[in-house]
Amino acid sequence: MSAQSSVNRIDASAAVPSEIHLPAPTAWPFVLGLGFVLLFAGLLTSASISILGAFLSVAACVGWFREVLPREHEEVVPVVPREIPIRTERPRVERFPTAPEPVRAWLPLETYPISAGIKGGWAGSVAMAVLACTFGLIKTGSIWYPINLLGAIVFEEPFRLDPAQLNAFHGNTFLVALIFHATGSTLVGLLYGAMLPMFPRRPILLGGVIAPLLWSGLLSSLLGLLNPLLESLINWYWFAASQIGFGVVAGLIVMRQHRIPTKENIPFAFRAGIEAPGLMHKKDGGEKQL
Amino acid sequence: MSELAAAVPSPPQSWTLPHRGKVGMAGLIIGESSIFTIFVVAYIYYIGKSLSGPTPREVLEPPIFFTVCLLSSSVTIHFAEKFLEAGNRGAFLFAWFLTALLGGLFLYGTGHEWHHLIYDKGLTISTNLFGTTYYSLVGLHAFHVTAGLIMLVIVLLFGLAGRVGPEHSLRVQVLSMYWHFVDAVWVVVFTVIYILGR
Amino acid sequence: MASDAIAIRAQGVASRPWVELVHEWITTVDHKRIGILYIVYALLFLVIGGIEAMILRIQLIVPQNNFVSPQVFNRMFTMHGTTMIFFVAMPVLFGFANYFVPLMIGARDMAFPRLNAFSFWLSAFSGFLLYFSFLGGNGLYGAGTAPDVGWWAYAPLTARAFSPGHSSDYWTIAVLVAGFGSVATAINLIATILCLRCPGMKLSRMPLFAWLNLVMSGMVLITITPLSAAQIMLLIDRYLGGHFFDTQAGGSAAIWMHFFWIFGHPEVYILIIPCFAFMSEVVPVFSRKPIFGYPVMVGATVTIGFVSMSVWAHHMFTIGMSSPANAFFTITSMVVGVPTGIKIFNWLGTMWGGKIQFKTPMLFCIGFLFQFLVAGLTGIMLACAPFDWQLGNSYFVVAHFHYVIVGGILFALFAAFYYWYPKITGKMLSETLGKWHFWLFVIGFHLTFDPMHIPGLLGMPRRIYTYEPGRGWEIWNLLCTIGAFVQAIATLIFVGNMIYSYFKGRDAGNDPWDAWTLEWSVSSPPPSYNFAVIPIVSSRRPLWDLKHPEDPDSQYE
Repeated sequence: MSAQSSVNRIDASAAVPSEIHLPAPTAWPFVLGLGFVLLFAGLLTSASISILGAFLSVAACVGWFREVLPREHEEVVPVVPREIPIRTERPRVERFPTAPEPVRAWLPLETYPISAGIKGGWAGSVAMAVLACTFGLIKTGSIWYPINLLGAIVFEEPFRLDPAQLNAFHGNTFLVALIFHATGSTLVGLLYGAMLPMFPRRPILLGGVIAPLLWSGLLSSLLGLLNPLLESLINWYWFAASQIGFGVVAGLIVMRQHRIPTKENIPFAFRAGIEAPGLMHKKDGGEKQL
Repeated sequence: MSELAAAVPSPPQSWTLPHRGKVGMAGLIIGESSIFTIFVVAYIYYIGKSLSGPTPREVLEPPIFFTVCLLSSSVTIHFAEKFLEAGNRGAFLFAWFLTALLGGLFLYGTGHEWHHLIYDKGLTISTNLFGTTYYSLVGLHAFHVTAGLIMLVIVLLFGLAGRVGPEHSLRVQVLSMYWHFVDAVWVVVFTVIYILGR
Repeated sequence: MASDAIAIRAQGVASRPWVELVHEWITTVDHKRIGILYIVYALLFLVIGGIEAMILRIQLIVPQNNFVSPQVFNRMFTMHGTTMIFFVAMPVLFGFANYFVPLMIGARDMAFPRLNAFSFWLSAFSGFLLYFSFLGGNGLYGAGTAPDVGWWAYAPLTARAFSPGHSSDYWTIAVLVAGFGSVATAINLIATILCLRCPGMKLSRMPLFAWLNLVMSGMVLITITPLSAAQIMLLIDRYLGGHFFDTQAGGSAAIWMHFFWIFGHPEVYILIIPCFAFMSEVVPVFSRKPIFGYPVMVGATVTIGFVSMSVWAHHMFTIGMSSPANAFFTITSMVVGVPTGIKIFNWLGTMWGGKIQFKTPMLFCIGFLFQFLVAGLTGIMLACAPFDWQLGNSYFVVAHFHYVIVGGILFALFAAFYYWYPKITGKMLSETLGKWHFWLFVIGFHLTFDPMHIPGLLGMPRRIYTYEPGRGWEIWNLLCTIGAFVQAIATLIFVGNMIYSYFKGRDAGNDPWDAWTLEWSVSSPPPSYNFAVIPIVSSRRPLWDLKHPEDPDSQYE
């Protein structure tokens, strides 16, 4: 018996009382139950049953009340002293070997906080908007053209307009585009912040230039199938440029943030707090002792 | 066993658990809230769905005075509790009596309103959907007020007989939890029936 | 020790007149006796509900059978469903909770012992009231006997015009009153678990049994009460001429469905969570390992509790809801499978690498694992709205939920019976008969409910009292009925085992399974005060600490 281990005491011989007070048996709950059910049963049969039920219920309530107040009725039960053996036939304890967990993947030791991704996303969204509006100004002389196109991704209203009106301001489309742009940028920024530390070497080149290029290419080849009308309105060079603008700016912003350590390389059992013996190592002192 | 006894752990330094009466009442309140939620949902769902009159706008008057009565009874019962804890018997009884009186006034108000609706406006529980939902919701609440009032009066009678002392403080607090709940429900019922529903 | 147990029972049975004995049981407020009352009462209704199921299966054994009339068939499936859910499953689970929660947390009784007795008698009398409908259901108007509106009692079937007399009122009132009893028990369990734990029994050290019953009780509070509310509305409609569910006056029949299923779906979780509790106690003991992932288990249970409150309308895809509603309820129904899956993996994780002992309780647990998994998979199928449009209200659904209730809940219950019977009576159940029971029941179960999926896929609707030949349903229905008989025989063996072992069984001693929770530290059956000295615990497995003083769990907490 190690002195520091704390073991519970069950039926320890110290201070076993000779008698114990328990709530006294009483019939009133039974009577109240019967009365209550009869009260309702009267609805199904006849009123006299309900009256009987009500009478029983009131009587039982009074009886019950007197049972607990002013003092709870108790019966005294003598304690039968007995020795309860608590032992096991299997005293040997086996443990699972707790080898260090095999390495499944190399995960970054440090990563950016979530706020970095959001900041990057928002900064990127501004860069993207500026580039897109520049395109609008150069191509049609209006900044509303790309905004209406953005809104058209999820909102069918712009398609009902004739081409000239696409250059004008439309409140509802603007709102949709704004929400879409903000959510999209935030989410992409978050993804970006999580992925940047995992890119090998020159993360900005990969995340800021190559990935947007691939993404633009994928979209330009697919959009013809998904939404030919929209596809015909888009200038893909400018599109790729604005994507790269987003990627580079967001990447630069994210890179400027401080990194924080990750928990990925701590053993799973510790992170999940899953189970003690066998998986976890003993802690130093056992429970605090007086 | 014997060598185990040598290693008896000392009990944790402090071992306090919540009061069972309060936990039980909290449980009852959660359950009751659920019942009221269903009735309130039914009321809101059926607003304006009645096929015939009278409509709430035609017949309902917000019972502002009686609402104030009920809500202020929450304040008086709170003080009654504090007085009892401090052992100030007279003040406790007075505040408690005030609580029961205000609760009784509220019930009178409900009864008066119902009498007016039934005999002057011809709205009964089977007249239309509004009648069905209105009487059920208000009736359910009035039933809870009545139950609370009966218990308030019982405590008042025992208090007058000098049988309620600071040692019953916890039980009285449990009862007052229930009363606060009944009041809080009225705020919801009032909002739904007299503000949203009209 | 063991001789003490015998002495106590001998004294209890032999030496006193039966009147006194009955009086003792009627007036008892002891949580153990009330637990036994609940369990015995539930077993009685299990037999009744089982007989009703047999009548249903015999009627469906061949096409165009005339074993019972369509009216009787309707009454039988209504009473079967109502009985099994409200008067078998709920009481038996409350019975186990009543008996073992105080013992496991080191308390001498429930928080409100008299209220506990009251809840039991309320449930008991309402069960009798429900069955009185067979005799008294003619009521005042000379129509109907037992309720025949299905256990959902959908509006407008329950409207006065379609259900004259009082037959469906028997359903409403009996279930309403039983619901009050359930709510009272739930309050009692919560107060017990939160307020009566022995020193050192922090929430993080409570046996999972107590944790899961705490979650279950919380769910009872929030989900039984909506049913009560809806039933009060139904009574207002039927007795006072209200219009809640009266479509003629602008009321809505669909809102009854919503209210019913707001209760009805979480109810399934109310029934299964205590069964998870049995699993979480039995599996570790027979795997000789601590439960894997205790905090995850607690978290998953609480998650199930919350998510299951927002899935109810997947029972209602076929009534035609809006697309967003369909999508929402499909997604939530799928989400609730995640924490349930976590639990299954945790039990497997507990068994993995353990020294598994294939005693009868463990066999039932393993059966549970497989069958509950299949039940969960068909559940996910039905959670897809388009799939449900095709198969809603077919025998596929019937097979699915019987897989949950019989394959899951009943198997876990049998495990609990074999595991705790020694503690309750002081006698071991016979292993031989137990193995017979298990294997026959497994065979009967699969013979009944595996083929039952197929007529559902072939288009057989539920609740039909007969069917035409030549639709390809015959062989499957025949197999189902044969399987039902095998299950009935297995259940008889179980009942026989309990009676035989009570008189002739081997003495159990206080701790026959070498287990780790506090109930095994007292004699079997426990004395009325449970613990002579209130124990003090310092880990999740207090008896492990005592049995292995050189290596107690408390070192790792």
